[in-house]
Amino acid sequence: MTTTATTAAATFQYSHTVGFLAYQGRGFIHPVDLALGDGGVMYVLNRGGPETTARLNHKRVCVCTVDEGYIGEWGHGGIDDGQFWWPSGIARGADGRLYVTDEALQRVNVFDADGNFLRYWGQAGDAPGQLNRPAAIAVAPDGTLLVSDALNHRVQRFTADGEYRHGWGQFGKQSGQFDTPWGLACNAAGHVLVADWRNDRVQAFSSDGRFIGQWGTSGDGKGQLNRPAAVAVDDEGYIYVADWGNERVQIFGPDGATAAILHGDATISTWAADYFAANPDEADARSRSDLFPAVNPRRDHYRETSAGVESRFWGPTSVKVDDAGRIYVVDSCRHRVQIYRKHR
Amino acid sequence: MTLTQNAHRVAIGDADTRRIAHLLRRAGFGPTRGEIERAADLGYAATVEELLHPEAQPDLEIEDLIRRYHVDQNSLMLLESSQSYWLYRIINTRRPLEEKMALFWHGLFATAYGKLNHAKAVVNQTHTFRRFGLGKFADILLELSRDPAMIFWLDNKDNHKDAPNENYGRELLELFSMGIGNYTEDDVKMAARAFTGWTIDNAEYMSIRASRDSFWPYGRIDWQFRYRDDDHDDSEKTFLGRSGTFGGEDVIDIIIQQPATAHYVAGKLYGYFVSDRPDEGAIGQLADEFVRTGGDIRAVMRCLFLSDFFADDAVRLGRVKSPAEIVGGTARLAGSHRFPEWTIVNLAMDVNFMGQEILNPPTVEGWHTGAEWIDTGNLVERINAAGIGVRDLASPGVRAIVDRVKAAGPALAPPQLAEACLDAVGMFEVSAATMDSLLAMAAPWGELRFDRADALACSESRVTELLQLIVAAREYQLA
Repeated sequence: MTTTATTAAATFQYSHTVGFLAYQGRGFIHPVDLALGDGGVMYVLNRGGPETTARLNHKRVCVCTVDEGYIGEWGHGGIDDGQFWWPSGIARGADGRLYVTDEALQRVNVFDADGNFLRYWGQAGDAPGQLNRPAAIAVAPDGTLLVSDALNHRVQRFTADGEYRHGWGQFGKQSGQFDTPWGLACNAAGHVLVADWRNDRVQAFSSDGRFIGQWGTSGDGKGQLNRPAAVAVDDEGYIYVADWGNERVQIFGPDGATAAILHGDATISTWAADYFAANPDEADARSRSDLFPAVNPRRDHYRETSAGVESRFWGPTSVKVDDAGRIYVVDSCRHRVQIYRKHR
Repeated sequence: MTLTQNAHRVAIGDADTRRIAHLLRRAGFGPTRGEIERAADLGYAATVEELLHPEAQPDLEIEDLIRRYHVDQNSLMLLESSQSYWLYRIINTRRPLEEKMALFWHGLFATAYGKLNHAKAVVNQTHTFRRFGLGKFADILLELSRDPAMIFWLDNKDNHKDAPNENYGRELLELFSMGIGNYTEDDVKMAARAFTGWTIDNAEYMSIRASRDSFWPYGRIDWQFRYRDDDHDDSEKTFLGRSGTFGGEDVIDIIIQQPATAHYVAGKLYGYFVSDRPDEGAIGQLADEFVRTGGDIRAVMRCLFLSDFFADDAVRLGRVKSPAEIVGGTARLAGSHRFPEWTIVNLAMDVNFMGQEILNPPTVEGWHTGAEWIDTGNLVERINAAGIGVRDLASPGVRAIVDRVKAAGPALAPPQLAEACLDAVGMFEVSAATMDSLLAMAAPWGELRFDRADALACSESRVTELLQLIVAAREYQLA
């Protein structure tokens, strides 16, 4: 059974899953973010981990399509130019360039559309323009780049060439302040939405950093958030929040009320189906299994439920939307992307 | 191995402080000087009570940060990730005895990743030890019997009404509660029958995945305990002289009432927290407390920490630290990894290289501890890792040590310097040979000055050099 969440104005329906656990090649390993390209292309950023020599090649960008075509991969773990150590966010500019933040190397890597490394910018520090664990990155309508500078508890704007423009925010709980912000997004008007992770809310700002409003209070109820990791906004003003600590995606309508809550509905991807075709005994045993077992968590109810029920979101770290009404949820601990559709 | 085998002790500070430092070393993972001071102010008995009630302290306060920055420690799919997660807990816990008990029970009820291919299942088991580790032993055994990792580890998923598997029933008696010689082969068979039907969901599918180390298509799936009444043997059984239609709970109740169980558990606790060399009188005291309280581990631990045998000079600094204690304790001392850093995996690897793969013990008997932690190879690892751990002046704990040394005086001659460094590390007793080594290192430096700007950086650097020698000393290997 798949989720269909209906409000007066829209329906959000599970579509399909893209993904498969793979250290290299066709699949993902601890994906944390994705960028959308033309023609249904997805650039899925794999953080991998832990950072042992043998596992550095897990860190990469897997290029595939929303209809499960595999195109290739690029990138590698390491500290040299163009390599990743703690890759966190990825965004695509209008010219097709890809920008990847790295929270360990305190930089933003720039690649061309084919994954060729062009340059990086950024240096560690807390002065304007410097970075301390740059988490997410988003492209504003004017082509500038917004970076959530997590441990400096601020948002900074750069030109596409890495020139510092301005920033706002400091540590705190007041409006306009942040505690370890993570995801961010821009709407068509240039307003900036920030997942204020450890304050359990999403804040909205004008393009010059003026506080506009916020969504969410701490908790697991409707309208509440627990460590929101990512935020996206569509052209109708729906706000999509990866409610990471509650292992769900919460959708707020243009009126600010909760429009839908998604918990994950993953099914077998084409790549996974290929695996089971090659391993029929495993597929056979799976077919006789109850994949929705009663979970008896003693601790951290939502996380343990996600760990025990394979179809649910587990560690949703990113959510993106496209012009076709598709919603992409990066399911970091399940090595896949779950895709939903919004229907009017 | 004791400190005083070949040399007399050089004592620093007062006896009460030394006693409380001993308590914190044994009940935790290497206290900082600040923690020792705080406990000394609180008093010994009150500190014991605080340790015995971890629930009064907050749980790991950086858990969300760990899971954010280490996605692999959110999924806990890989062994190194899960070991790293435990290191974070050891370093950052405000409930040191809870963590120490978890490590103790993990060694006693040794369950290994190597067979399960499911790291999070073993982590989940350690969470059970955190929750129940200071509670009633009956509850610990009951939770253990329901623990999916244990069910998988000792094949209880294959223990069926019509085809019993004795593996869990045997180890429950032999290794987990009573010890060999205190039960018969028939008791093993009856215990096994009592635990038929105690299994996990989707046992067939999960077994196939584990056997081929399959984490496809989407990573590991947490195992869930399931009791299947239709696969449970509810016929009459005679177990340890009593008869009835016993189930697993009844078997545990009977086990708890056995004097052998009290003695066995008391002996294990004594060996882990007091001394490698058994003292039947002391173990008897602990066993009596076990019986008196119906197997209340908290009460037994209180009895242990307040006992004369625990305070004995011969016991203090007489136990070799496990690798997890050395590595975790050094990080605590240095103040490193209080916030997620990718280098945590290096610490986990250090523990492995020293011979203790936490979450992956070598056999069902756990690790051989005590002096067996030390051989020529891993001693080098222990010394190197400790030295690297305290050499960075930017680490807040190292900075605090250096500042404390500086506070001992504007100018310190080698003897004062050595004493101030030892005090700042909380190492209040060393052998004369160790003290001689420290003085030999410091002698060429002459008097270190902290009151002159031109000498300060050099003096601070010298302190960190001496620190590296201190953690290389024999005494640092001991708790």
